[in-house]
Amino acid sequence: MQHDASAAHVRGVDSLMDGIALQLNRLDRDRLDGRLGEAMRFAMEAIVTAARIDRADSLIDIGFAHIDACFYNGRAHLDFVNYMLEHGATLAVPTWTNTGLVSLKDLSVRDPLASPEMDEARQLMQAYVRLGCNPVWTCAPYQLPGRPGLGEHIVGSESNAVSFYNSVIGARTNKYGDFLDVCAAITGRVPYSKLHRDEARAAQLMFDVSAIPKSIRDNDLFYHLLGHVIGRRSDGRVPAIVGLPDACHEDDLKAISAAGSSSGSVPLFHAIGITPEAATVEAAFRGKPVQETIEIGIDDLQKARNELGENTDRPLAGIALGTPHFSYTEFQRLVELLDGRSIDRRLICYLTTSRHVFLLALERGWIESLEQSGIRIITDTCTYFSPAVNGLQGKIMTNSAKWAYYAPGMLPVEVLIGSLSECVESAVNGEVVLDDWGSA
Amino acid sequence: MNSGHIDVPASVLIPGQAQGVALVLEDTLSFWGGFNPANGEIIDVHHPQYRQRVGGKILCIPRSRGSAGTPGGIAETLRNGSGPIAFLLGERDVNIGVGVLVANRLYDLIIPALEISPADMARIHSGDRVVIDQTGKVSVHSPAR
Repeated sequence: MQHDASAAHVRGVDSLMDGIALQLNRLDRDRLDGRLGEAMRFAMEAIVTAARIDRADSLIDIGFAHIDACFYNGRAHLDFVNYMLEHGATLAVPTWTNTGLVSLKDLSVRDPLASPEMDEARQLMQAYVRLGCNPVWTCAPYQLPGRPGLGEHIVGSESNAVSFYNSVIGARTNKYGDFLDVCAAITGRVPYSKLHRDEARAAQLMFDVSAIPKSIRDNDLFYHLLGHVIGRRSDGRVPAIVGLPDACHEDDLKAISAAGSSSGSVPLFHAIGITPEAATVEAAFRGKPVQETIEIGIDDLQKARNELGENTDRPLAGIALGTPHFSYTEFQRLVELLDGRSIDRRLICYLTTSRHVFLLALERGWIESLEQSGIRIITDTCTYFSPAVNGLQGKIMTNSAKWAYYAPGMLPVEVLIGSLSECVESAVNGEVVLDDWGSA
Repeated sequence: MNSGHIDVPASVLIPGQAQGVALVLEDTLSFWGGFNPANGEIIDVHHPQYRQRVGGKILCIPRSRGSAGTPGGIAETLRNGSGPIAFLLGERDVNIGVGVLVANRLYDLIIPALEISPADMARIHSGDRVVIDQTGKVSVHSPAR
């Protein structure tokens, strides 16, 4: 066994010191040397470190960033942005914000006066506004006008948004975590690696859902459960899905994006005949043969449903909708399903959305009617993480696999997943109401 | 396996030195949502090592997963002292690397992060004593078991 520092070299693994040469242009070198200020130097050091970890040989320009570092998870977040602001950071590209921990529009959702952490969370969001971000505060930025184009290099961070941008829009992004997202927005540069490159975007295994009855494939819950299964079974490979109905909606693809990124790591999937890089099987696999096909059956969906919570004997305490943020079409569907009925008074019902979609729904009169029905509508943030928004405890039903996956670890809740229709009927009746296939 | 000593080839992602006891995670982990950075506890109810704490350990992990919040969770747990003293990764994980880099720069720490092969990862067990030096040399001492 080698004892010296070149052991890694012998195995053919490069290291930071002896790795693949990273091509930096003159401007990159100026950024890294500190000639453009300390904030730029720090940001560029992070980009270069990421490039070396990714074994990238070059950097590329980006045209847009959606950042997650505005979401508070401790003092380090605030220290980072304050350091950048104090050292003169500016943004090189249009930069939009993910949800924050608190709602700047309604501070009562998580009260900054109640804890130092919530106050720091508010300060963090305001710091990113000062840095020059477009404060959209949403995990579903792709629902807003101004989408990036097919093939455009961007920075995505929130995992469902990364998956949606890559898969449904065909923009190109890796999953940029906190800090690196901001460093990319400051420098306008990212490593030319992984999903920015053609070869990494080829499908590597197929999920076939053709055996699932059409009535189930038309149900919104199906897409959440399918995403959960794909996340569990893709194991780092790019999955393709065959057998989705042509009528499959962007809301359904959002569900796959979110569920697949919760139960696993699926920053890109292809839906044959539906998503832009998957017009055909051959296109999705970029000419390579399909080596593995996994047939999804109803039992797989039922297993996913069980993994995401069980229907215990406890009384239903509430409903949580809008993870990721509710779209215009989801509002429309909710209003139709509810049809003017009220939520049972014993229940609490939350719905999260973006400011942009909120305004669209407001214009249609939907906000007023849903609030009259007893649904509390929240913007800028979400309900599945701690601290719990008021009353969110006990047995909670959600239409979101992502909510169901994460909430039990962070909130005093037990979770049950259902379709939007099942959630609505349960909300109105004050107890769990499941469709036939749901209880099958 | 008897007690013994092995040297593990590694690739330095973030340089630094550390010695301590290994905690080997049996599954990937999101450091946001699955992890409490205030106290270093694994809170993902689906994780096989749910409720274990990573503080003071040489954390051996296949890779991070899920949310973009992983670097923030790592920087915060390192800032407040509840985090690992080093990372041995089964993959070249940018999210963990950047979290460690930012914490090291903001708080003058020298927490290392190194990549080792999955096969070598399987040879390290929780409780083993691990020494990492500045050049990236990793030595693992297994107590008798």
